[in-house]
Amino acid sequence: MDGQSCVMIMNEWDIVAARQLGRHAAKELGFGAVDQARITTAISELARNIYHYANGGKIYIDKIEEKEKKGIKITASDHGPGIPDIRKAMEDGFTTSGGLGAGLPGVKRLMDEFYIDSKTGEGTVVQVVKWLR
Amino acid sequence: MMKTSKIPILKLYNNLLISIQWELDDKTAMQFQEDLLKKIHETGATGVVIDLTSVDVIDSFIAKILGDCVNMSKLMGATVVLTGIQPAVAITLIELGIELEDIHTALDLEKGLELLKELED
Amino acid sequence: MSLKISGIVEFIRMHRDEIMKDWIDRFNKADAQSISAESDQIDQAIAAEYVNILIEWSKNKEDEFSRKIHEFSKRIVQLDWPMDKIAQCLHTFEKILFAKLLEKQIPGDPLELLSEIEKVTSPVNREVFLQYTSSYERTINLQKMALQELSAPLIPVFDSITVMPLIGTIDTDRAKRIMENLLKGVVKYRSEVVLIDITGVPVVDTMVAHHIIQAAEAVRLVGAKSLLVGIRPEIAQTIVNLGIDLSQITTKNTLQKGIEAALEMTNRKIVSMGERR
Repeated sequence: MDGQSCVMIMNEWDIVAARQLGRHAAKELGFGAVDQARITTAISELARNIYHYANGGKIYIDKIEEKEKKGIKITASDHGPGIPDIRKAMEDGFTTSGGLGAGLPGVKRLMDEFYIDSKTGEGTVVQVVKWLR
Repeated sequence: MMKTSKIPILKLYNNLLISIQWELDDKTAMQFQEDLLKKIHETGATGVVIDLTSVDVIDSFIAKILGDCVNMSKLMGATVVLTGIQPAVAITLIELGIELEDIHTALDLEKGLELLKELED
Repeated sequence: MSLKISGIVEFIRMHRDEIMKDWIDRFNKADAQSISAESDQIDQAIAAEYVNILIEWSKNKEDEFSRKIHEFSKRIVQLDWPMDKIAQCLHTFEKILFAKLLEKQIPGDPLELLSEIEKVTSPVNREVFLQYTSSYERTINLQKMALQELSAPLIPVFDSITVMPLIGTIDTDRAKRIMENLLKGVVKYRSEVVLIDITGVPVVDTMVAHHIIQAAEAVRLVGAKSLLVGIRPEIAQTIVNLGIDLSQITTKNTLQKGIEAALEMTNRKIVSMGERR
């Protein structure tokens, strides 16, 4: 599958850049308007997490293909403080930044697949996939 | 550093009209909140219509700012109506778990102004 | 000395009429209720073709052979027999062939004989079942598509009032599609009120209710109001018994009442133009 795009998330403008890139890729893959919005919003949430908690990181956007299925994979990776209690972070309404608390569970609902790996002091990797219906 | 763009706020009789025409970034959104409240204070407007027809992404942060705008305006005596929220945006907000409860909405600017009039009566 | 595959094929060729007669007799006896002259003939033709294919298999080149099996299998599928009947039928053939081989005192270990028979028949049998499964899969896919098409129609009934009748079971996938159609329709028809009619939804459980609530909230965000209509007594019971909170949604028991309410919400009503004849 053709290459990977990557956006460094260092400041607020990069959040916009990441979601524009994601929307573009989603459109290219043939996702409908609603799925485009889901994907773009998920990217926005992930990028925001990086910006707020990890003080910088990267968002990778991959077009993927598997058994006649096509999809888009978003990987958010940072070397921030990590999430001490992943289960708690996945509960609705849990937030440490005073936002709306949509965060990770919201992202999970928007996408088809959701993986998270986090080590305290080392960083966090969140990977989400949306398949083309 | 990119320049923060300002969202124009128009006054029409007792109402303020805002049409957001491009993708909102955090700084622009926060600047907008400040400008709106200032404008309500200056003009004594009793109604505000924010048209979101051209906005195709609202994430939790932008949603929070918009929700705050509504509540802050209410404290200052102005009713806010959000109009033109796209189906895709509405679905995404609901799935994210953001409900924007107790917010007035209308299909478009025109219906939004009608609603404000109705609410005043 | 054991009988090789070619030997078995040769055996079938030599005793062809005998085997076929036994096969059809045996099978028709088992299937006594559904015998008619017509289907009998088809059975004969099919049986003959099956045996032919088995006989010819060593003579033909590989790809031509597989093409033949393929065509034959397709024809079998078109007969529209139940799969177990086919399986039984093919199995009967093997049993008869085995019995005949033993009867004619062919030398060799019976177990080995069985495995040789299986080698002769299995390529054809496998293809028949493959065809069957793929034909079922095709049907299922077509039905899935048909189901998607009638998934969630949105009908404008009056200026700024639309109705979405929901029929059948709602799963997560369908619920998402319903929500999308609902919202796109609301914006397209500029509806102020949209009625979601669940008369045709057999079960409203927590999940379905959750989707309905979400849809109603999304409708509110785009700037319209939704009414939930067609709530049957048993649905009302389950909703309350499950402790589902639908208090944020206006509900009416029938579509008719819903439309009246919708007209009222848009400042209209239906009036009678004098006496009815």
